[in-house]
Amino acid sequence: MLELKNIVKEFGAFKALSDVTFSVKPGQVVGLVGENGAGKSTLMKILNGVHQPDGGEFTLNGEPVALNGPRDAAKRGIGMVYQEQSLIPILTVAENLFLGNEDRFIRYGRIDWKAMGKAAQRFLEQVEIDIDPFTETGTLSFMQRQMVELAKVLRLQDMTDGDLYILLDEPTSVLEKEEIEILFGVIRRIRDRAGIIFVSHRLDEVIEVSDQIFVLKDGETVRILDKAEANPPLIHELMVGRSAAGSYYRESERRAPLDEVVLEIKDLGKEGEFKKVNFDLKAGEVMALVGTEGAGIEPVMRSIYGLETVDSGQVKFRGKDMTNPSCSEAVFAGIGYVPRERKTEGIIEPMSIEENVVLPNLPKMTRFGLIDFPQIRKATNHLFGPLRIKAESRLAPCSSLSGGNQQKVVLAKWYNTGAKLFLLDHPTRGLDVGAKEDVFDLIREICGNGAAVLLIADTLEEAIGLSHRIIVFRDGQETARFDNTDPDVAVTPLDLVGNMV
Amino acid sequence: MKIKLNTQGIFLPFAALVVSVGLVGAVDSTFLKPSVLINLFADMSTLFLMALGLTFVIMTGSIDLSPQAVAALSSVVLALLLPSWGYLAIPVALIAGVAAGAIAGVVFAILKIPSFVATLAVGGITASLTLFMSDQRAIQLDTQLRASKLDWAIGDVFGLPNEVIVAAIAFIVMLVIERATPYGKAVRAVGFNEFAARAAGIRLLWIKLSVFMVAGFMSALSGIVLAGRLAAGSPTIANEFLLPAIAAVVLGGTALTGGTGSVLRTLLGVMLIAVFRTGMNFVGVDVLAQQIVFGLILVLAVGLSINRASSETVK
Repeated sequence: MLELKNIVKEFGAFKALSDVTFSVKPGQVVGLVGENGAGKSTLMKILNGVHQPDGGEFTLNGEPVALNGPRDAAKRGIGMVYQEQSLIPILTVAENLFLGNEDRFIRYGRIDWKAMGKAAQRFLEQVEIDIDPFTETGTLSFMQRQMVELAKVLRLQDMTDGDLYILLDEPTSVLEKEEIEILFGVIRRIRDRAGIIFVSHRLDEVIEVSDQIFVLKDGETVRILDKAEANPPLIHELMVGRSAAGSYYRESERRAPLDEVVLEIKDLGKEGEFKKVNFDLKAGEVMALVGTEGAGIEPVMRSIYGLETVDSGQVKFRGKDMTNPSCSEAVFAGIGYVPRERKTEGIIEPMSIEENVVLPNLPKMTRFGLIDFPQIRKATNHLFGPLRIKAESRLAPCSSLSGGNQQKVVLAKWYNTGAKLFLLDHPTRGLDVGAKEDVFDLIREICGNGAAVLLIADTLEEAIGLSHRIIVFRDGQETARFDNTDPDVAVTPLDLVGNMV
Repeated sequence: MKIKLNTQGIFLPFAALVVSVGLVGAVDSTFLKPSVLINLFADMSTLFLMALGLTFVIMTGSIDLSPQAVAALSSVVLALLLPSWGYLAIPVALIAGVAAGAIAGVVFAILKIPSFVATLAVGGITASLTLFMSDQRAIQLDTQLRASKLDWAIGDVFGLPNEVIVAAIAFIVMLVIERATPYGKAVRAVGFNEFAARAAGIRLLWIKLSVFMVAGFMSALSGIVLAGRLAAGSPTIANEFLLPAIAAVVLGGTALTGGTGSVLRTLLGVMLIAVFRTGMNFVGVDVLAQQIVFGLILVLAVGLSINRASSETVK
C-alpha cells in the first residue's frame, strides 16, 4: 500500500501542497481530480520522485520512503504514463520498451533481438494490442503508442519484488470514445497486478473507472469519495467550491444569429483529407464540426486560416474570395484562430501577456511607425477584467500562467483584433471546470458582439451545448447536419455518434 | 518584472566588462586615458556595425556566416565606383550588401536551406565575386577623394571620431526598431516560436528573409567605413571579423536558439571583445593568435548563455 499523509510542498513562498492525504492499494483504481493549480501535477511529481515533499509522511507498505527521482521510483515499482508521450519514434516498439534496460538480452556482447522481441510480446499482450514488437514506433497510431507507454510501465514488474503502482496522467484527453473503452478494459485487467492512479479532467470517466476518488482543492485533499457516492455535480462542487451554474454551457445566452453571412464554403476539397465541404456561417452563430480523429474537420478549419491549402472549391469571407490565404491575410481580414496545440501555435511562452495579446494587432497600434505603448497598455488592461486572466501583471511571461489562463490569453488576442470569425479548435482542451466556464462565457460574448464561431469541441456534449448548428463528418465528408436551435428536438450525443462511425 | 528580467540577463556581460576594463587598466594605466578609450571605440565601430546586423539574424534563431564577405564586397564596389560615380557609389555599395543578404535570405527562407549552409554558400560566392571584381588586389582610394566623399565616416567632430557617431546612430536606429516597432516584436516572436508567430498573422517568410537584408545592409556599411579607414577596398578587408562578430553577439547574451537578445547586449559584447583585443595587444599577444582567444570566448559565451539549460538537446 502506498500512502501519503499530510504532505506539504513549497516552492519558495508558494505553497503548492498544504495538506494532501492520499493512498492506493494494489488491485485498486483511484481517481485524482482537481482544478488546474489544485496541486495534481505536484502530487504526481512527488509520487514519481521528481519532487521531494517538505513535510508529511510518504510510506510504501508502512515503510517511510524518500525517492531520488523517477528512476528510483521505478525501482520501487512506481511508474508513470506521461501525458506527452516519451517514446522515441524511430526506434522499434521492443527497443522503446527496454530502452536503458537492454542488459538482460545481451549475449556475447550483442543484443539478442529474438529474446527481446519475445519479452516485448509478453508485455504487449497484457495491454492487448496486436502489433509486431519490431514495428517502428513512429508508424503506430496515437492510441497504440499510448498502449506501448502503458506496457513500458508494466515492465517494471520484472524489476521490482514489491507491488506495482501506475500513474496515468490525463490518458484519455486525446483519445476517441472507443479507444477510451479499450483503455479502460486494459486498466481493469491490469489492476490485479497493480494499484492505479488515474488523473483526468473528465469527471464521468474518472467515476466510471475508479473505486475511490480523491478531490484536491488548493493543495489540500478536500474529500475522499467512494464510487457509489460520486457523481459529476458533487465532484464539481467540491473542486471549485461552488455548484455548477444552472446552465453549464450558457444555453440561455444563445441568441439567434444575424442575417449577415460571414463565411461561405463551397465544394471545398483537399486530396486525402476532405471533399465537397459546403456550409455557410452567419454572424452571431456557432457552428460545430464533429467527427472522429482523421474525419477531416481539423484540416477544414486549418485551411480556412491558411495553415493548409485546398485543391478545389472556394472560401468566401464577408463576401470576398479568400481561398488559400496566408495566415497574415486571414488575420488582416478579420479571422482569429485558437489552435488545438496551445503551446506550439497559440502563445509564445517567453513573451509577456501583453505582447502575446497585441501581437496580431501590432501593425495597427502604431504612431509614425512606432508602437503606441499607452494604447497597448489600455487595450490589455481593458481585457484583463472581463476575461478573468489571473496573473501577476500584464508584463508577466506567459510561461508563468496556468493552462487555463494561457488559453484566455489566446482568446484575448483575437478578441482584441475585433475578429469577425473565430476558429476554435478544442478551445477547452486540458482546462479545468472553472476555466471552461469562462471560455463558454466568452464564446457567448463573442457571438453577442456579432462575430461567428466555427467550433471543434472537446466533447460531443460541449458541441451540442454551445452550437446553433452541427455538421457531422466521416472520412472527410459530411454525413449529417443538425439544427440545434429547435426547442422541440433535442440533439443527443447518440445522434451524432451514429453518423460519425 | 520585465525590468528585473532584463537586468538579470545583462548583469553578467556588464560585470565582465567592468572587470576586464579594470584588469587591463591595472596592467597598463594608459589604457584608461580618454583618448585611448575613444580610439578603442573608433576601432571597434566597424565590428559593431557588423554585429548589429547579425543580432537580428541570431534573434530569429538563424545564423549568418557571410558578413565578412559582404563587407569586403561593399568595400570593393565603393572603391571601384567612387572615382567615377562620386557619392552615388555609397548607396550602390549598400544596395550590393542588401542584395547579397536578400539572396542568402531567399535561399534560407524560401528554398528552406538551413541558414548556416545558405550563408556559407552565398558568402563563398560573394567572396569569389569580390576577388574577381577586384582582380584579387586592394583598390587604393585617392587621398583627396577619400577626404571629400568619406569624411562623414572617418573624420571627426570636436575630437569625436565620426566612426563612433555613425555606429551610435546605427545603434539607436536598430534599438528603436527592436524595441518600438512591430517589426522588432515580430523578430522576437519568430525567434521564440515561429509556429505561434505565423498563427498570429506575422509574415513569417518576410521576417526570416528580411533579417538577412538588414544584416547585409549593416555589413555593407561596415565595409564602407572600413574602406574609408584603410583608404582602400579589398577582398580581404574584413577577414578575421566573423568570429569576433558572432562572439560579440553571443557574449552579450543573445541566445543562438533565438528570441532572447538585444542590440543593447551586442553593444556590451562588442565592448568586451574590444577590451579583450586591446588588452591582448597591451600584453603583447600576437594578432594571429587572438583568433584562438575569440574561438575560446565564443564557446565559453555559448556555454554560459542562459537558454542552454532549458533546451535539452543540442543539434
